[in-house]
Amino acid sequence: MVRKADLTVVGRDQPRLDGAARLTGRAEFTDDVRLPGMLHAKVVRSPLPRARVVNVDTSAARRLPGVRAVVTREDAPQLAVGLHQPLFDTTVNYIGQEVAAVAALDEATAAEAAALVRVEYEPLPAITDFEAALVEGAAQLHPKAPGNVAWELAEVHGDPERAFAESAFQREDVYYTNPSHNCYAEFHVAVADYTAGGRLTVWTPSQSALLFQKALAAGFGLSEGQVRMMTLHTGGGFTGRSAVRPHHFVAALLSRKAGRPVKLRAVADEEFIMCRAGGRSRYRFRSGLGADGRLKVVEADLAFDSGAYVESQMILTTLTKSYLHLLYRLEATRYRGRLVCTNNLPYYFHHGGGLAQMQFGWGQHLDALARDAGLDPVEFHLLNAVGKGHTTMSGAHFASCGLAECITKAARQAGWGRKYGRLPKYRGIGIGIGAMASGAKGVFRHDTSAAFIKIAEDGTMSLFTGLPDMGQSSHTAMAIIAAEVLGARPVDITVISGDTDVAPLDVGAFSQRGTFNTGNAVIAAASDARAQLAKVAAERFGVKIAQVVFRDRQVWPKGAPGQAIALKQLVHDTLHSREGRYVMGRGFYNSPKASGTMAYSFGAQVAEVSVDPETGVVTVERVVAAHDVGRALNPRIVEGQIDGQVFSGLSQALYEEVLMEDGQALNPSRLDYRLPRSFEMPAVEHIIVESNDPYGPFGAKEVGEGPIVCTMQAIANAVAHAIGVPVTEMPMTPSRVLRAMAERREPPAGDPPLRHLLRGRRLR
Amino acid sequence: MKRHIIRLTVNGDTHELAVAPNATLVEVIRDRLGLTGTKRGCTSGACGVCTINDEEGRALLSCLTLAVAWDGCSLTTIEGVAEGGRLHPLQQAFWELGAVQCGYCTPGLVMTARALLLGNPQADAPAIDEALAGTLCRCTGHIKVKQAVASAVARVAADHVAATPESGNDGAQG
Repeated sequence: MVRKADLTVVGRDQPRLDGAARLTGRAEFTDDVRLPGMLHAKVVRSPLPRARVVNVDTSAARRLPGVRAVVTREDAPQLAVGLHQPLFDTTVNYIGQEVAAVAALDEATAAEAAALVRVEYEPLPAITDFEAALVEGAAQLHPKAPGNVAWELAEVHGDPERAFAESAFQREDVYYTNPSHNCYAEFHVAVADYTAGGRLTVWTPSQSALLFQKALAAGFGLSEGQVRMMTLHTGGGFTGRSAVRPHHFVAALLSRKAGRPVKLRAVADEEFIMCRAGGRSRYRFRSGLGADGRLKVVEADLAFDSGAYVESQMILTTLTKSYLHLLYRLEATRYRGRLVCTNNLPYYFHHGGGLAQMQFGWGQHLDALARDAGLDPVEFHLLNAVGKGHTTMSGAHFASCGLAECITKAARQAGWGRKYGRLPKYRGIGIGIGAMASGAKGVFRHDTSAAFIKIAEDGTMSLFTGLPDMGQSSHTAMAIIAAEVLGARPVDITVISGDTDVAPLDVGAFSQRGTFNTGNAVIAAASDARAQLAKVAAERFGVKIAQVVFRDRQVWPKGAPGQAIALKQLVHDTLHSREGRYVMGRGFYNSPKASGTMAYSFGAQVAEVSVDPETGVVTVERVVAAHDVGRALNPRIVEGQIDGQVFSGLSQALYEEVLMEDGQALNPSRLDYRLPRSFEMPAVEHIIVESNDPYGPFGAKEVGEGPIVCTMQAIANAVAHAIGVPVTEMPMTPSRVLRAMAERREPPAGDPPLRHLLRGRRLR
Repeated sequence: MKRHIIRLTVNGDTHELAVAPNATLVEVIRDRLGLTGTKRGCTSGACGVCTINDEEGRALLSCLTLAVAWDGCSLTTIEGVAEGGRLHPLQQAFWELGAVQCGYCTPGLVMTARALLLGNPQADAPAIDEALAGTLCRCTGHIKVKQAVASAVARVAADHVAATPESGNDGAQG
């Protein structure tokens, strides 16, 4: 176990190493890439939600001066995006689906040529409401999806019926969330260069170069070595950039045909077609509570509109299924998750990975169940929360867990005891709690990250990683970890990443695996380099290798700091020794578990809101966020991660919705798809809880998605508290709030029916 | 399409360019001058990532501005903010206070904040809120960005006091 007092780099504020590049306009993003002879692409897209493509006439487009390539299905009869979506399908299944594409000398010519492609469609009846698709007798959209259920996962733990029979309180509730868009600052874009030698280089923002490389290699019949992924600075990920999309294939195909590099970027509303975020989803929960206030059983029946093609959305069901076990000590669970085919665009998920969205419902449902039993929600959570050492029914083990501490601290700082049930009319306070796995085993049989480190003669270092940094400052975190191991400064370390020709393997920056997995890989690589140096130092000092201390750019024998030599002197001496050793460390990390992960982060947030009863507008006044991150490697950056997730959670809870009508997005623009503006964002108070995870790098766990799972439910519970009724559909727009208030049977009471408080405890 | 010859000064460098009448400043700056620090976002004025400054230091959405209308004018982009290799107080504050995450909206935010500082050196919290309202940023939730701008306002004011002995704070310079 790492003691905080022993750390010299970890836990101190380190401004991000690439900050100056990002602040002076020198950071290179994919749209900044200009290659000699580069062409510009435009895609011809289906205007219909479902239709047979009868004929595609490209003759006029090909004749337009400046056009260098036109591709249709004939150019790629076997090419598929993921498992199920043929590129340029013979039947289009959503509005915006690719039918053909052109590459020309400039974007205007490409757009003109795309408009000249004549496509003849035979319209087919479409289903765009996922609940209509589930109705018996609904037309079957895909041969492999009877009943329009493309995938179903069901699992039972314990004996739910018995647990319900033994429950003193039980209730059932249904919630909905609506289509969303990741809304990254950087629009979707790819530059592909498919050279005659059979080498494909693709520049594109990505959360996982490895997954993209594998998918493109398989699609084009290339070896992985022939596909080079270039991940430059990436303008946000938010779980939306972890899988390859049609535009990557289209750009590569056009480049292959033209023999020149091709840039394909989303223009205007195309951004909403190329993006695959959340679809409309329904969450039904039924839970039972014992007379002692213990949560006994949870049943979840979830249905997700997965749109026209199922690719990797199955992960939504595995994630939500596992999540049911992470927060409370339960006797039984029953889960069913279904992916439903429709003629909407293929959905994936939004920031929060489907879990934050499920928590919008589940958190409200349990809050209501607690109130049914006369329990204060904070007391309910504390009574039922998992703790350190707990092993769930599904096999997850918590070697560290600060959940109860997060709940207690957030509630206390927010003034819960003074406010819950005591706020003026139309003001409310609500709590949300959450957990998050640090790792992604299950995508592959391994969950491996690897790292190299090399040390120059003057003691400066280069750290090689395949982990992308989409803004979360993970590269700086990796430098901090290496610096701590080697007694160096983060600023002495250059992090080299983004080129699969150079970087070692890394599954990627998703499922919150970066800090934990890649961090442990960096520890291994830096420790390997340190061992090489320690051998030389031990000989010099006449001590055992284990007794060599590396700290503050100096090296000394344990207990004798007076004998210290400079780290760079040791590196120099190692190189100039008879052996002539150049120091290069290498390492990797893979979770020793067969599935799942070694560490989970936990958190609790309390939100306070006010509701305007005339307009239905919800204003979030304050959010207190307490998060067990194991160890904050870089505290100010950790705060920034929490801020961003509270923002995104608030944004999804109250604002974000792609309004769909018959498969058509009605508001596909940054202006009409609303996000909170600067003045709509409340202050966020951070409480960082450090449970010091025994398996985490210097005790650290993820902080990339744990906070957002708490936010939407906290706000929803505060709204319910303010207006006396729940708003069961997200986003909680003014119209939905007004509708909920109109359906309310009685005005909001000053006090909920607090019949008793368990164990007589009260939070101040 | 008929081209127009325009003279544009960007970050002190004057360029003579033949541009189409519908070419926007963001296209000319990025694609013709190679100054890719100015980002291309929604191209409809809603996200703010393309913000630059005009010669009076005002914020300008370069995606909504026709290049021909700025013939003979002088503009500043993100590449022209740091002077003599030294970061501007805004850039320094953004960096130190963790206001930079993915970095795609950062140039637009810095140019927006620079315009605010030039136009309102005493900008208070509501003024900062209002100025930043035109830029979308999912990563930071605006919180540390606002702190950084407020910090830069204070730094610039302190520098101004330090540089002007007659301002009443005479003893400070020793």
